[in-house]
Amino acid sequence: MTDSNDSNTSPIDPKLLEILVCPLTKGPLSYDRKAQELISSKAQLAFPIRDGIPIMLVDEARPLSDSSDNE
Amino acid sequence: MVSRFSSFEPEPRAGWTRFGERLVPSQEKIGLVRNVFDSVAPRYDLMNDLMSLGIHRLWKDRLVSWLQPRQTMRILDVAGGTGDVALRMYGRRKELSGDQVGGITVCDVNIEMLEIGRDRALNSGIVEGIEWVCSDAESLCWPDDTFDAYTIAFGIRNVTNMKLALSEAKRVLKPGGRFMCLEFSKPIIPAIVPLYNAYSEHVLPRMGECVTAHGDAYRYLVESIRRFPDQEVLAGMLCDVGLERVRYRNLSGGIAALHSAWCL
Repeated sequence: MTDSNDSNTSPIDPKLLEILVCPLTKGPLSYDRKAQELISSKAQLAFPIRDGIPIMLVDEARPLSDSSDNE
Repeated sequence: MVSRFSSFEPEPRAGWTRFGERLVPSQEKIGLVRNVFDSVAPRYDLMNDLMSLGIHRLWKDRLVSWLQPRQTMRILDVAGGTGDVALRMYGRRKELSGDQVGGITVCDVNIEMLEIGRDRALNSGIVEGIEWVCSDAESLCWPDDTFDAYTIAFGIRNVTNMKLALSEAKRVLKPGGRFMCLEFSKPIIPAIVPLYNAYSEHVLPRMGECVTAHGDAYRYLVESIRRFPDQEVLAGMLCDVGLERVRYRNLSGGIAALHSAWCL
């Protein structure tokens, strides 16, 4: 997977985001518009949205605990 | 119940799984499969046409015909990256009058495949009605009882843990929801078996190499097809996760099979 030169600006349907849950915990997600991430507070993971497509893979998610000021 | 799983081949020992003919650690399979599809993504549909002499289109049409996607149905098409099935369902629903209110969601573990599908949809002027989400069939990112139909075409073969993927299918289906799976299967006409084996073993990987420059990727596909459970075993697996009224239809003499089941 590459994540270089992402524009990350494609609009995303809010209805789509509402229905998604964390793939790990099946718990709710919150949308961080600025970072273009879906946050699972229960799993402590941030799932990226690339080019308008949510990447709901645990392997691709950013752990929240140890990288709070990464990037 | 477990006997159904072991009737086609011994289960690899704990923590290992099959990647084609090779045994690999379970946690590595998803990455290996993604590499296969990333490498062939740009020419995947072209390759399917060549490999199946265009017949995969007819098989996918059969899936859509049997499903009869109504406009109110919320449909999840798993492993549907390039949109081949979703666009067919969209087209079929468009023939009916009224708005497409149910929505079709395409999910795939490969972002490259999804991007191709999304671009195809946009190029066909479809900006609404199909959603694209990168998600793993074994840990889907939708709540219980979300969809009226779950379809998976040539995808279930590539998951690491089929039982887990099928349980997830049942979980996201609403009661009364429909499960449909299109997959390569076991030819039932004895006369075509040697021909089919020779074709898949010798012709397909070479064809794959010529068109996509990734012969290894297609060798994996051939091996995974040969390893895949036959019609009856797959039907048993659907029953085992609690799906009901399991039926299947052989396509092209059993080269592929279409399984249907209900979540009741």
